[in-house]
Amino acid sequence: MSDLASLQQQFMAMLQGQDNHLASHIVSDGQLSLSQRLAIYQNAYKLRLRAAIEQDHAQLGIYLGDQLFDKMVTEYLVKYPSNYTSLRFFADELPHYLRNNAPFNAHPILADISYFERCLLIAFDAQEQPLLSIDELEKFTTEQWPTLQLVLHPSVQLMHFNSRAVESWQALKDKQTPPEPYCETTRYWVVARDPERRTQFVNVALPEYRILTLLKQQVNFAQLCQSCINDMPSEKIAGFLISLINQWLERGWLVTTTK
Amino acid sequence: MQTQFLGFGLGLRASHFEQIITDKPAVDWFEIISENYFVAGGKPWYYLNKIRADYPVVMHGVSMSIGSTGALNFDYLQALKSTIARVEPQWVSDHLCFSQVGDFNSHDLLPMPYTNEALEHLASRIHHVQEFLGREMIFENVSSYLTYKDSQMSEWDFLAALHNKTGCRFLMDVNNVYVSARNHQFDAMTFLNAIPTEAIAQIHLAGHQDFGSHIIDTHDEDVSSAVWDLFENYAKQLDPVSTMIERDDNLGSLQDLMAELEHARQLVAPIWQLGVNSE
Ligand SMILES: [Fe+2]
Repeated sequence: MSDLASLQQQFMAMLQGQDNHLASHIVSDGQLSLSQRLAIYQNAYKLRLRAAIEQDHAQLGIYLGDQLFDKMVTEYLVKYPSNYTSLRFFADELPHYLRNNAPFNAHPILADISYFERCLLIAFDAQEQPLLSIDELEKFTTEQWPTLQLVLHPSVQLMHFNSRAVESWQALKDKQTPPEPYCETTRYWVVARDPERRTQFVNVALPEYRILTLLKQQVNFAQLCQSCINDMPSEKIAGFLISLINQWLERGWLVTTTK
Repeated sequence: MQTQFLGFGLGLRASHFEQIITDKPAVDWFEIISENYFVAGGKPWYYLNKIRADYPVVMHGVSMSIGSTGALNFDYLQALKSTIARVEPQWVSDHLCFSQVGDFNSHDLLPMPYTNEALEHLASRIHHVQEFLGREMIFENVSSYLTYKDSQMSEWDFLAALHNKTGCRFLMDVNNVYVSARNHQFDAMTFLNAIPTEAIAQIHLAGHQDFGSHIIDTHDEDVSSAVWDLFENYAKQLDPVSTMIERDDNLGSLQDLMAELEHARQLVAPIWQLGVNSE
């Protein structure tokens, strides 16, 4: 290995607190000791990544408090050292980490809040696509409707929690006390960007959530109708779906790339 | 390639997006962080497209890791190339440092040893990157907190040698020079005077935190009076160079940043013979 390659590997080992002999490469001069000089880099490494997580997961940070947040960051850095060139994706595995590691896994709401916060990020910078309008939708003929495939905007994300993760997130954001963490019934949520590019989250009922899940799987209108057959009288299905579609158009959840 | 004198600019930060498109402040140009636009769309691109219709934009990357040993990251370079094609910046810069080794990314700008090996290595990597991008890159000097025993020359001799070898030009961060000068007890003007003036494409000014025994380059404070002095003295050696304030944390209002930028303009306007309200 070249001197340069070896030096760089020593540096990375030092940052990650692994065995290294970087200190033997450093000039001892000025008013700082060798260990102080190395500590500046170690601190900067940890602080930068801590700040990145804190920025993306502000309410999780408040929910955990400083001590637990620090513990999470320290352990996450060891388990998931960054392989990304952009800090934007560095904490992508945070929900997975919180769901699977003690002490955090004893409180599923933590993984839920972090998952919700990552969805907000995705909604923030998901691809731009032209929104579907009522006029365009009305152009489809009766014959075309059964095979029509509506397409959700790339920012639309579906999630369901058995915790009050979203309500807690909102309470913390408003500087209020979060509610009881867990609820009896599952809560269904949609996070998406609205036509004014504001990130919104909407609590939806299970039937609507099911239909949206099917849309993600690219089913056509006839299949959507079919999926409702056990939930309501068949003559009500089309009306039910049309009223949902109208709401989604207003919210900017559908794009023009229908098939 | 010559870089045009764009005047006095600011780093574009998301918290100022809305105000910039509404108020159209008298900032001459903006510098964006390249990697912030490695996303498909949404708010970052919506605002950038509006802003770039009204202002010249330059791109500044933080993740190229040009000094890394190991293979070039062509996924990264392709993302950069696509972003350049969308942004159409006046120029593109990154840092003379290493950040990534193997898969591990430190997300820090780590100093190179100033050796002949590093010089050869950088020259060859710069060549390959520029070939792939189909354009010249500009590289910024980083601040540092240690010097390597391995180094065979000073940082300024290293930069001058790199310029001689490759023709590559620099984004001179005057604050970084000051920070390193204090941390390693050299004379900042010696550093600046050693770099051929035609190699200077852009200037960064930023704030730091002074701990007495050492300085940390934090970009969360106003530019210090020592750095203003250094900038003013340095400007006397230069033809007009596009200059900007780089602030990442403890970000105040746009007005505060513009007041600092105006100070930069006032300091060098007589030296560079600029109209006081040059736009
Ligand atoms: Fe800089």
